[in-house]
Amino acid sequence: MINKDRGIRYVAPALAVLLLITAYPVFYVLYLSLHRELLIFKISKFIGPDNFFFLFQDDRFWNALKNTVYFSTLSVSVELALGLCIALLLNRSFRLKGVTRAVVLLPWAIPTVVSARMWELIFNSDFGVLNYLLGAHINWLGSPSWAIHAAILVDIWKTTPFVVILLTAGLQIIPGELYRAARTDGAGAWKVFRTITLPLLLPVILVVLLFRTLDAFRVFDVIYVLTGGGPANATETLSLYAYKILFQTLQFGYGSAISVMVFVCTGCISVFYIKLMTGSTPR
Amino acid sequence: MKRTLFYMLLFAVIFFCAAPFIWQIITSLKPSGELTSLPPLVSMNPTAEHFRSVIYRHQLVRFILNSLIVAASTTGLSLLLGSLCSFGLAKLKVPFSSPILAIMLSVSIFPPIATVSPLFIFIRALGLRDTLLALVITHTVFSLPLSVWILTNFFKTIPDDIYHAARIDGCRSFHIFYRIMIPLSLPAIVTTAILVFIFSWNEFLFALTFTSTSSRTVPVAITLFAGTHEIPLGEIAAASVIVTAPIIILVLLFQRKIVAGLTSGAIKG
Amino acid sequence: MPDVQDGRSTGGASTAVIQSDMHAQIITYLLLGTIIVNSNCFPGTKDAPPASRIVFKHGKVSGDYERFKTLLKAFEKNNPGIVVEDEALPASTDEQHQFYVINFEGGRADFDVVSMDVIWVPEFSRAGWLLDITDMLSEKEKAEFFPGPIRAVTYRNRLYAVPWYIDAGLLFFRKDLLAKYGLSPPETWQDLVSSSLLIMSTEPGVHGFIWQGKQYEGLVCNALEYLWSNNGDVLRGERVAINSPENIRALRFMRDLIARYGVSPSLVTTSSEEPCRHIFGNGRAVFMRNWPYAWNLFNAEKSPVKGRVGITTLPSFRKGASQPVLGGWQLGINRHTKHPAEARALVRFLTSPESQKMLFLAAGYYPARKSLYRDRELMLQQSFLPELYRLFMKARPRPVTPYYMMLSQVLQPEFSAVVAGLKTPEDALASAQKQIEHILEAEYDQ
Repeated sequence: MINKDRGIRYVAPALAVLLLITAYPVFYVLYLSLHRELLIFKISKFIGPDNFFFLFQDDRFWNALKNTVYFSTLSVSVELALGLCIALLLNRSFRLKGVTRAVVLLPWAIPTVVSARMWELIFNSDFGVLNYLLGAHINWLGSPSWAIHAAILVDIWKTTPFVVILLTAGLQIIPGELYRAARTDGAGAWKVFRTITLPLLLPVILVVLLFRTLDAFRVFDVIYVLTGGGPANATETLSLYAYKILFQTLQFGYGSAISVMVFVCTGCISVFYIKLMTGSTPR
Repeated sequence: MKRTLFYMLLFAVIFFCAAPFIWQIITSLKPSGELTSLPPLVSMNPTAEHFRSVIYRHQLVRFILNSLIVAASTTGLSLLLGSLCSFGLAKLKVPFSSPILAIMLSVSIFPPIATVSPLFIFIRALGLRDTLLALVITHTVFSLPLSVWILTNFFKTIPDDIYHAARIDGCRSFHIFYRIMIPLSLPAIVTTAILVFIFSWNEFLFALTFTSTSSRTVPVAITLFAGTHEIPLGEIAAASVIVTAPIIILVLLFQRKIVAGLTSGAIKG
Repeated sequence: MPDVQDGRSTGGASTAVIQSDMHAQIITYLLLGTIIVNSNCFPGTKDAPPASRIVFKHGKVSGDYERFKTLLKAFEKNNPGIVVEDEALPASTDEQHQFYVINFEGGRADFDVVSMDVIWVPEFSRAGWLLDITDMLSEKEKAEFFPGPIRAVTYRNRLYAVPWYIDAGLLFFRKDLLAKYGLSPPETWQDLVSSSLLIMSTEPGVHGFIWQGKQYEGLVCNALEYLWSNNGDVLRGERVAINSPENIRALRFMRDLIARYGVSPSLVTTSSEEPCRHIFGNGRAVFMRNWPYAWNLFNAEKSPVKGRVGITTLPSFRKGASQPVLGGWQLGINRHTKHPAEARALVRFLTSPESQKMLFLAAGYYPARKSLYRDRELMLQQSFLPELYRLFMKARPRPVTPYYMMLSQVLQPEFSAVVAGLKTPEDALASAQKQIEHILEAEYDQ
């Protein structure tokens, strides 16, 4: 580290912009959440924690929370399992590896909104190609039990590549001697995976889990385009609920209260994972 | 035998990733009459009518241009602020440098929905509603943590000796920054640029909220496609294909860089 | 569709109108791009408007857009010095509403005349976004319009919009099938169920009754028709009255149509207008609740049900009376307009009998003026205009309150949950009652 120059001059612009555009809103959203704030009717009144009291008895809030947790848990676990399989598959040399990797990256790179539109067409119950191939008549986006799973499927398709990329990189730094040694000891493939690959990959897995859980918990675009939260709010997540309250009718007080809850939840998730991580790498 | 199984699985993976997109291309070429019926899977009479329609009737070109301007400006700004900041954090003495880095990174876990309502009020107060600048500002801020993270990690790998030597030669720190550090870190900068560009090109929530007509970006335009009762499936498919094309080219050209950027930091730490 | 492009760079006042020549377009975009990059948010000032330019925002016009455009050209001809620029909004009415809310709230004056769904007028008036145009219609002139829309555009005894065209829910039925079984059009919901069951038992592949049960505004329209026809309501004066035995019974009946009687297929829980129209139009349903727009399509040249469709008012419960939901669009003026006189002229022109007649012929929009339902030329076009007249006279606005959109946001998921069988009517209405009371507190607690 070099002592002479005061580096703060370099850091200050970025820091200032960041604080202005993110820290200020965080406090402002807290402030809003303690008000009855109807922007369009110029109603603004301090009501203390009333919004939160109402929130806790609001069925729709609990329903959205339940959907969000279900969505995140299921999509992240499948993504991790599937991602691990694909990463193990790709973790060897074969021809066209570069092209394969590029194709795998595609779903991650295209706009979420576009992928939701693509899948909307595939899921169509009358003339969707999925029902055609399955020979079924499933109302994918219309029935409450299918719709959330359809949304999860799109999320899996969209973000498994991210998981694959991180895990492949993690696999590459596991020293090859470890595998060779294990094999000379006569260990089977499963045992090698369990005793070498998995423990050494754990830190990367935790990072993946942290990123993915946070992302999934904030899910908005996919659901907004695919189902708009319906049918019967079976796919309405916290972000979507907050958005509807905030921007369809500009109820900024109550909407902000919901946003604050999203914030609190993501905060808890991060703390949980960071605790796990510092626990798993005692260095 | 094992080899065959491997290639079968590989094919399955590729199919899973590419099939929806291929289906979108097939759909975009179907004449209107065949859109709502299956079979045939692939039309015998492919048509470009939907492509013509999105370009001439739905002003897609204009929305693409909006997106390009926003994404390019965001990338530029984010790199400028991010590289300066990273240089400071990695090479110079900054009080509280680790808490500062921690604060920056914690921004990346902020749920956008929690900041969108105050930002809306803020942007409205500045008179920036429905301008591209509003999007450039928010996108820059939300991509800064990523830029700072990748670049700080990279700058740290450049030996301090180079800095010292230049310093002894009488270079001011800013000269060192843009004469030495920037050229040396070009690979990392390209990586960051691609990731930030993709982020901005794809961003939806802020774009949906802060724009209404003249500054609408592509993801919003595709979502709010005009149509009264019927949904213009062919046109949506065509628009999707057009919009995805630049991203596909980016990915094919730069997949190595993208992978490097995504894995930066995540693996070490 | 003519390609009149709105080339405002970032929301300034002036506009470059460019014909759709690809090259010119690209060059302009590039130029615009440079302007934006260089100056970020300069309002472009490229050409001074030669005359008062008024911007007219409306939803996408169905039918023949060219003829709609001709109408605007006619206005420009009659009013030299005024240029009308029309801009279509996104497809769904919810998205249009959001557009208006966000832009009006920003105090923007870059549009002058707006077309509004009937349910928005009180909200926009209360928010102070619309020009008070009480003086535009005398009591006598008001009486020339249907009473429902006039009620919907009046807020605190002031007029904020002029009805443009009208819509109302009605029952389509298959004349041929009813005749075959010697049935007359149903008057009560029970009649509808028994007729459906009778016909379904011998006509394989035909659904009994289809309607709009997807989670959106259309479901609220459908549900209100059941509630009202059982003497129920959402609000009574300032009191929230949604959780009532009448409403519970009415709502349970909607679910029973699917689950108990089986006359409605479960696909109605995800249907909006168009899927319903397709099913009925292919001859696969006996009864359908929809809006009048479907009539022309059923009687088009290649339609499988041509000449076999009848319409009537919706049924009611035994003790209630049939009350169709009022729909349609109204024209209002942005309070911040810089051209109030010109905007008034446009509103007056578009809501005149001549324009409404023209819109009916060009786009199938039903006039909001009563006299046109006796017009010989229009009668020739659609023989059932007298029936529609009776229907529109009965049409009832959804709760006329500035908080309607918030109420609808509460009602949509609750109704949807009942229709899909996820919640009992009791639970759903109790929850709706609580939420609506919470919302209205804001109004009464100031």
